[in-house]
Amino acid sequence: MNATQPAPMLEARGLVKRYEDGVLALDLVSFAVRAGEIYAMLGANGAGKTTTINIFLNFVEPTEGEALVDGIVTHKDPLAAKERLAYVSENVMLYPNFTAIQNLEFFARLAGKTEVTRDECRDVLRRVGLQDDAHAKRLKGFSKGMRQKCGIAIAILKDAPAILLDEPTSGLDPKAGFEFLNLLAILRSEGKAILMSTHDIFRAKEIADTVGIMSAGRLALQRPASELAGQDLEQLYLQHMAGHVERAA
Amino acid sequence: MITNMIGVIIRKELRAALVSPKFVASFGVCALLMLLSTFVGIREFQASREQYEAAQRLNEQEMREQTAWGRLGTRVFRAPDPLQIFASGLQNDIGRWSSVDAFNPVKLKNSVYSDDPVFAVFRFIDLAFIVQIVLTLMALVYTYDAVNGERESGTLQLTFANPVPRHVYILGKAVGAWLALIVPLFVPLLMSLGLLSVFDILLSAEHWLRIAIMMGASLALVSVFIMSGVLVSALTSRSSVSFLVCLVGWVVTALLIPRAGMMTAGYLVAVPTAAETDSRLDGFSKERWNVHMKELGERWRARNEQLTGKTEEERRAEREAKEWDWMEEDDRSRKQVQRDIDEYATRLREDVRNRKLEQERLGFTLARFSPVAAFQLALMNLAGTDMGMKARFEDALTEYRKTFNTYRDAKVKESGTFGGIRISFDSQRGMKIEQGREETLDLAEMPRFSDPRVPLRDAFSAALVDIGLLVGAALLACAAAVAAFLRYDVR
Amino acid sequence: MLTLIIEKEIRDLVSTARFAVTFGICSLLILLTFYVGARTYALQTEQYEAARKEQLRQLEGVTDWSSVRSARVFLPPQPLAALVTGISNDIGRNAEVRGRGEANPQDSRYAEDPIYAVFRFLDLDFLFQILLSLFAILFGYDAVCGEKERGTLRLTFAQAVPRSTYILGKLVGSFVALGIPLIVPLLIGCAILPMLGVPLSAEEWLRLAFIVASGLLFFGVFLNCSILVSALTHRSSNAFLAMLVVWIMAIIVVPRTAVVIAGRAVDVPTVDELASKKSRYSAQLFAEDRMAMGKFVPSNPTGPQVMQEFNKFMSKIADERQKKMDEFSSRLNEERVNMQRIQEDLAFGIARISPVASLSLGLADLANSGLDLKEEFQSSIQRYQRSYGEFMVKKTGMNPGGGMIMRITDDSDREKPKPIDPSELPVFVFQPETLSASLASALPDLGLLAALATVLFLAATMAFLRYDVR
Repeated sequence: MNATQPAPMLEARGLVKRYEDGVLALDLVSFAVRAGEIYAMLGANGAGKTTTINIFLNFVEPTEGEALVDGIVTHKDPLAAKERLAYVSENVMLYPNFTAIQNLEFFARLAGKTEVTRDECRDVLRRVGLQDDAHAKRLKGFSKGMRQKCGIAIAILKDAPAILLDEPTSGLDPKAGFEFLNLLAILRSEGKAILMSTHDIFRAKEIADTVGIMSAGRLALQRPASELAGQDLEQLYLQHMAGHVERAA
Repeated sequence: MITNMIGVIIRKELRAALVSPKFVASFGVCALLMLLSTFVGIREFQASREQYEAAQRLNEQEMREQTAWGRLGTRVFRAPDPLQIFASGLQNDIGRWSSVDAFNPVKLKNSVYSDDPVFAVFRFIDLAFIVQIVLTLMALVYTYDAVNGERESGTLQLTFANPVPRHVYILGKAVGAWLALIVPLFVPLLMSLGLLSVFDILLSAEHWLRIAIMMGASLALVSVFIMSGVLVSALTSRSSVSFLVCLVGWVVTALLIPRAGMMTAGYLVAVPTAAETDSRLDGFSKERWNVHMKELGERWRARNEQLTGKTEEERRAEREAKEWDWMEEDDRSRKQVQRDIDEYATRLREDVRNRKLEQERLGFTLARFSPVAAFQLALMNLAGTDMGMKARFEDALTEYRKTFNTYRDAKVKESGTFGGIRISFDSQRGMKIEQGREETLDLAEMPRFSDPRVPLRDAFSAALVDIGLLVGAALLACAAAVAAFLRYDVR
Repeated sequence: MLTLIIEKEIRDLVSTARFAVTFGICSLLILLTFYVGARTYALQTEQYEAARKEQLRQLEGVTDWSSVRSARVFLPPQPLAALVTGISNDIGRNAEVRGRGEANPQDSRYAEDPIYAVFRFLDLDFLFQILLSLFAILFGYDAVCGEKERGTLRLTFAQAVPRSTYILGKLVGSFVALGIPLIVPLLIGCAILPMLGVPLSAEEWLRLAFIVASGLLFFGVFLNCSILVSALTHRSSNAFLAMLVVWIMAIIVVPRTAVVIAGRAVDVPTVDELASKKSRYSAQLFAEDRMAMGKFVPSNPTGPQVMQEFNKFMSKIADERQKKMDEFSSRLNEERVNMQRIQEDLAFGIARISPVASLSLGLADLANSGLDLKEEFQSSIQRYQRSYGEFMVKKTGMNPGGGMIMRITDDSDREKPKPIDPSELPVFVFQPETLSASLASALPDLGLLAALATVLFLAATMAFLRYDVR
């Protein structure tokens, strides 16, 4: 490890996860995300991206190895680790009978921001691009994109040093996707460490500092995005996908 | 083509049902409960039959030990009927026996629940109850998301991306859901009937016919609820809503309306209580007897007056000559009093009964807004444990009492003694106590009581209204479901 | 954080249409039940008064107490028994007292008015059993697995939330959100009772308070149970199905089966057996007495006191006969009562596996309409029988005891006899169980409910600590 570099905010050390039914979901996965960095995890369905995120959230305990958030081992002190984490799921589900603001307030308070005001909520909702007239509406009638914006707003409001994003752009229209990338860039400039799983190769290349390609539970390839500039990421991705298929067969 | 399509839909429904946990759970619970209730019913029937036989034996023994015809009375017990296993109705609420003698009008006493209130605390379960509460609930749980559940899972849209006519789809759906629930119900139902032969319950052909009609009524009731479930799911777009509607509907129809209907009728039509009518009857009889005693005294005085002025010898001779006539005369007037009282009792009872009939009619009409109530009434009629049961028994007992009393009176005359002790007191001769003759009684010719039975035809025609209501409601719900689905937003 | 979760839970539950609809219906039914109870009580009181008046009216114009053969006593309607019927409609409500012998209650309400027996009454016991449990299931079954299905559980636990805090907030929050609103119609129901003409004593108010509290306790049991099941399953449809099975078992199967098992296991001599034994013994005693009567020799055969002497003699042998008879029947009755006790203990012991049985038994104890009611009525009748017998002896010099009809026909026109004063007749007093005794018998059941609620609470917490929140 380079001494001049700061300690990583999110770190996976030799993660192995074997489920009860014998499926090997993760096989010695290691990576690190530092403050002010975006790490994009690419991979097909079932490659182990969500399992990795689940380990960071302590929804799943690793069979071997450990995940660290700001130096805290997630399965040893999950609460302390979660205080430093914000999370946006692939399909954000919130309380359908609460308004957007009520949902935001609840989760902000749950995250320890007891002082959060309605105006702050409105500001954040505007920042993620949710129109004003939707703020006081119940979540029941929201489209997937609107819910996604709320989820991102909740993550922003928490103001945690590390952010986990599970397929955050799926279901967003192109315009919203573009705005979302801008938002990520701002968050990065604020010094957040961001771990993002995605299928979206083009966006990943555009925004990420480091790209990791997962295949069948392994981190098949990990490069700084700058190094990939010349190469065709798509090519690489498909190559590893093919490898995955071969191994599975 | 269309029948083929319906077949496809029905087959899919059945396959989906068989693999769902809902099916496994509901089938398991229903089967368990039906078998349990039948088993319990059989054991209860056997116990009550034993009790009935023992009671009759004891009564006969007691009668054989009596020595005088004059005071002979008997006790008549209601015989248990195997149909109570399926629909106990009022069986346990109505008195089990009545004494039959010269003095007291018949009255059914000692109901099972009043004798052993421990059974009244939670009551028994019979098949009728299981069908009313459990099967109806299961039918709704089963069908509440028949249509909107498919919409939510997206399969509805996919289905209608094919050239499927809506009425074909909903009919297939309704029939499929019906078959998926009704067919499995038959298995435990038949098994519970099988239990009857395992436990050696002898049934006549008529009993079997009644049971078959009862089963038909059960199927009709379950069908009503299946079709209502489909209807509700075709009227709502979200399964959580239809679930709530079904549950509320169930609480109201299965639990609330029957009770509320009967209670409303109870409040609207006032009926005097038995204590009140008994007191009135007591009052009447006391008055009547007082008059009788007064007349008796006057008669004796008049008779004595006729004798005044005669010698002691003449008096005795005349008295002896006329004594039998006098006694006959007195006996006649005594019997007249008895008849008057009986008539008054009958009139009172008739009056109460008419009021009750009125109350019942209103109560039934109100309760029949719920198919569950209609079902219960139909089953009670078929099993003979209906509301008319009490009156039927009381009438039969009153008839029997007449025959019995005639028999006894004839025997008293035959044996020439009333029995008992006769104490006479005379200011001249002082007191004389005569013991009756002691003898054992030959009861071989004693008339027997036979239980009043409603002929199958009458029972069936009484139940027909309710069964018709059930079938009508099921068909109506089915038609409404089809109509509702024709305008359903399948997105 | 706990308060935050509780607050959210309350808001989440109360803001739904589901809540509005079910709560509306529950309130309506609760109020209806109170109304029905009040009406039933009014009706029963009316009938009771009418029957009592009729009984007194009959005594009018009677000139001699010795021609009064019997008095009828009535079980006065109890306001709480109209709200929690228990077995009060199954046992006899009146009895004929003759001064000696056995006086058994007869004419149960259900036997007399089978119209009510067909579908039974709407009372608080029924309402709590069926409605509150369903209400609890409806809001508890998806408490945990529903949030998982909605995805909110995942988001919540992406925050630094301890699981124990979360489930605690869930349990407390749902009880507060659902229990408190239930108190409102219950209290309104209690409050309208006096307005509907149901007088309640301070003691009865206290009993009613306990009844309402037991209902809430029972509701807590089912709510905790539903949340437990919800924390054990991952799909809300499965949780609901499981709870439905639990519900049917608890309400229908366990209590009834328990009673049937006890009924078969303990052999209680039937009433018919007893009646037959008694009547045979009585016939035997009577035959003996007839021999004794035959031997009656008046001290002065032609004197005017002969009748008196004979009466005394008859009264003496009747007393002796009665004493023997009483001993005999009380021995038989005691045997039966003892066996019945054993049977009841066994039946209720098994039935209490289900909280519904505990609730039902506890409520009946509190409303004084449980199995004890029959015994209390019977002992009140026996007490009255004694005072009635003494009264008749005082008035007529003998205890007629119903068995003998004595008619004195007076053919001399001495003076017109004065009518008796019916109000002299001793007044029947029904002695209901005292509050402390009722509480003593109800508390074990309430304790059982409380214990069960606690166990389920802990079990739900334990289950959730190991719940897969993904």
